[in-house]
Amino acid sequence: MTLPITTVKTIVDRIEDGGAGIKVFRLVDPDRWQLPPFRPGAHIDLHLPGGMVRTYSLCNDPADNARYVVAVKREAAGRGGSVLLHDAIDVGDTIGVSLPRGGLDLPDDVTRFAFVAGGIGVTPFLSVAAWLKRVGRPKFTLHLIARGAPPLAHLLVPLLRSGHLVVHDTAAAARPHIAALVGRPLSDVGLGCCGPESMIGDFEQATRDWPASRVHIERFVPPPLPVDPDARPYTLALARSKLEIPVAAGQTMLSALLGVGIDIPASCCGGICGSCKVDWLEGAPIHRDRVLSPTERARSLMVCVAESAEDRLVLDL
Amino acid sequence: MLDTLDSKTATPVTLAWTGVVRHLHITPRAFLPMRAMAELQLIAGKGIDSDRYMIGREEGFYSSKPEEGRQVTLFEIETLLALKRDHNIDLAPEEHRRNVTVAGVPLTHLVGQKFWLGETLLEATRLSIPCRHIEEITGKAIFDPLINRSGLNCKILQGGTVRVGDAVRNAA
Repeated sequence: MTLPITTVKTIVDRIEDGGAGIKVFRLVDPDRWQLPPFRPGAHIDLHLPGGMVRTYSLCNDPADNARYVVAVKREAAGRGGSVLLHDAIDVGDTIGVSLPRGGLDLPDDVTRFAFVAGGIGVTPFLSVAAWLKRVGRPKFTLHLIARGAPPLAHLLVPLLRSGHLVVHDTAAAARPHIAALVGRPLSDVGLGCCGPESMIGDFEQATRDWPASRVHIERFVPPPLPVDPDARPYTLALARSKLEIPVAAGQTMLSALLGVGIDIPASCCGGICGSCKVDWLEGAPIHRDRVLSPTERARSLMVCVAESAEDRLVLDL
Repeated sequence: MLDTLDSKTATPVTLAWTGVVRHLHITPRAFLPMRAMAELQLIAGKGIDSDRYMIGREEGFYSSKPEEGRQVTLFEIETLLALKRDHNIDLAPEEHRRNVTVAGVPLTHLVGQKFWLGETLLEATRLSIPCRHIEEITGKAIFDPLINRSGLNCKILQGGTVRVGDAVRNAA
């Protein structure tokens, strides 16, 4: 039986040395088909062997839809993803990736930008810089704060030559004040920051008087997705298999069931096709589907969209 | 089979229509952008050469749910116009992710019927259903507006080449 396809299939086409313990991976479609589009500053999840999922910013120009380029710094004391990529992934290997997410808002009325990056945090601004230069909006400065030789030097050289990059070597001089780099709020200026949490804290402090719409922060570990403020956690009790499954606020019943290995057929995931219809026995479902009649709802629900109004819902599974 | 009934006389009425192929698209794998093609090769009983749902290839988002009647999919260009008119949503022909975009063809009336797509003969098996997957890919809220007009799934009875500009005709 064919397993569901949940990721974009890519193969590692090239691996380059990015200096400072960094490898640059170029991922392409096996047939060199164009890849799903992405915004400047977007990131993707890499689904690695062993079930590890790690998020990396895309470094290439969004106009270049033939490849995804990610730069990975080997973190020996990290959670294992970067070590696996450095030590076990080779050219020709297959890696499933997510659709690209996120990216910077670069509205037309913002004519100048200042970006602050710490070390490997420069990666999202590489795709932003490429995009801004290509569309004829070259008024930006990228401040890279790093200790010693900057990372990804070969990708930074063009920005250095064009005068867009300022490298602040903290081995040679004191770390610059973030407030001095971003300046005072101006209506036509946009800001961005990516780096370690301490730097982001300083950046947040320095930009507290700026309108939020003009400030973008990219964290190494993405914050959790916002959930519906009215959503609440509950427990699914499966009457036949005697299982109790917690459902987090905002999580779908379907994802909770799939997460514990219960194979529920699903297709549209919007409450109309009926593939995931399940009978319920006790509780108070909130249905949200578009097709079940009141009579049918008294007995069944669709796990792709239904929720529970009470703490416990019993399903006939 | 009756196409529809005249409500006063209850006599059968056959729809009179002739349509045209406006766009052709394929993609080799799930999630990848659809690519515009000048022509497609349809293979009877299997699917479209190099498309993700060709039987034996099985690289589509729904390939884990095999379906003999999903060898080629069609979409009405009139639906794209309606999305703009009624919902102010711009959806391009490569974004709806069906293979063939037609004009002047009443797709929702054709389930169970045979019709000619250029030189190929198709049998309509069921209406397509919108899915959240397409919202994930396009980033556009199109699930609701596409309910009941999300295209048509077909089996290929007689294969051949389909080109942009080909006529679409009822085989009745």
